[in-house]
Amino acid sequence: MKKLIATLATVLATVLANGIFLPTVAVAETFDEAFEMNRAMYGKDHSFSWTGKQYLTTHPEEVEASVEATKENAEDLIVKAKAKNAEVAKVGFEWKLTKGIIADADAAVTTGDYRKALNLAAQAKYHARIGLQQHAYAEQNWQLSVPQ
Amino acid sequence: MKIIKNLALGVSFIMSTQLVSAASTGTTLETVSPEADRIALQNFYKKRFPNTELQDYVNGIYAVDADSRTQWEDIEAFPPYEFDVEEGERLFNIAFANGKGYADCFENGGIGIRQNFPYWNKEEGTVKTLEQEINECRESNGEKALKWGKGPIAQISAYMAWTSRGKVFDISIPDGDKKALAAYLDGKKFFYSKRGQLNLSCANCHVQGSNIRIRADLASPALGHTSHFPVFRSKWGELGTLHRRYKGCHQDSRSNPLDMQSETFRNLEFFQTYMSNGLVVNGPGSRK
Amino acid sequence: MRKLTTSMCVTGLVALLATSPASALTVEESIAEGKAVYMGKSRGNCISCHQINDPDANLPGNQGPPMFAMAQRFPDKRILRAQVWDATKNNPISIMPPLGKHWILSEEDIDAVVEYIYQF
Repeated sequence: MKKLIATLATVLATVLANGIFLPTVAVAETFDEAFEMNRAMYGKDHSFSWTGKQYLTTHPEEVEASVEATKENAEDLIVKAKAKNAEVAKVGFEWKLTKGIIADADAAVTTGDYRKALNLAAQAKYHARIGLQQHAYAEQNWQLSVPQ
Repeated sequence: MKIIKNLALGVSFIMSTQLVSAASTGTTLETVSPEADRIALQNFYKKRFPNTELQDYVNGIYAVDADSRTQWEDIEAFPPYEFDVEEGERLFNIAFANGKGYADCFENGGIGIRQNFPYWNKEEGTVKTLEQEINECRESNGEKALKWGKGPIAQISAYMAWTSRGKVFDISIPDGDKKALAAYLDGKKFFYSKRGQLNLSCANCHVQGSNIRIRADLASPALGHTSHFPVFRSKWGELGTLHRRYKGCHQDSRSNPLDMQSETFRNLEFFQTYMSNGLVVNGPGSRK
Repeated sequence: MRKLTTSMCVTGLVALLATSPASALTVEESIAEGKAVYMGKSRGNCISCHQINDPDANLPGNQGPPMFAMAQRFPDKRILRAQVWDATKNNPISIMPPLGKHWILSEEDIDAVVEYIYQF
């Protein structure tokens, strides 16, 4: 407990000594940045405006999943999720849980829970897409933490 | 605009004190300098842990954290890997069906050579590790390959490390060999790239985060990482190879991990061992 | 561009003052859920890196800053939410996993954990 208080005091002292309480928030320059900033601050289905138009903070995959909960639609989205995951696996950036999420989606189709299957497939497809983004970012920025 | 300035984030400011300066060189095949990398990394730790002697980094986290060092020294008084070294020696000396043995496959009969691994094999155009050559020795003599992670291969590797204790690592990248340099760069890039759902690079924990708590665990410094393998890890309750640990770490970033002895893991070992040039072999080791 | 960002931020502040996060849970339920997210190893596991002055916080790590003076450090709770959602936005090499951007936690879990830590 003493240690915790000491640490807290140090943090506060550092913050005060530097005369900066908090750095500034990023300014959105592109649609993707504006989308991310709004999703980060408000979660999903939040309305925001970008260059005069209104948009929602809903991921494209969530939009894809918001179709009628039928077997065909669920299977269709699962196929797309598998394809996206194969793409990210190819560049070596497949995430650990994605295959399991797809397996759960498959299982939900078997038990007739198509809504659940759609939602899981959307999450898996999103994971694969962000994994690809992560790979592209790493290709350009991996050196950021190399000591000089 | 004023409002934007007032809206702010505290965490990043505090975190940013951990940020090391951005690289200006050494990220491409044309510019990468393994020797500059090694010196920069060693200087990073010298600055971070001014009281730790360079040679002590072979002891991992115990080189920089006094509390856990005491516990570890108690463990090392009766080393948990002792049986494995003995078993490794026994396995090492059992002749294959064709009458040959491991001693016939390695320089100096396989004794006192751990410090020469991994190395760049020009003919094959790839990095070779000790475990890889143990299995190649078996296969070329008509025996089945051993599994990479634990058991006999770890025991044989442990015995070979044991006979090499105190020898100095001196991994070399042949001058002008672009392919060897590319392998080194691939390992370096893997080490510093964020990956997995948790978005973690090796460097996140073992450079920036070294000797800082993740729950009750302290992340070890990357320097000396390869010197003490194979390792008897309390969490495993048994001996395991370096690539078993690589695979586990890779998976802990919530990535679908690479296979043990895959080309990239061998390149990672090449990079990491080069970083530890000048340190001694002290495997096998015991770790939490 | 600046004007747009400013107006979005103003909207954010107004929304913050006028409403609580969109959620079917009461504030108490949300805080309790947020605590479970904070402590749960397979959920947020925030405790692995952040100290917090909660008697139930057992063996916290210290890779990140302690959860302390949160309302002072983040007068706008939405900015804190954004930091949880993706800490690499402000520090690209941050060790903190992007809990929202990488869909490690659901948006509801993020709302809950923000409610929980905002008390400290």
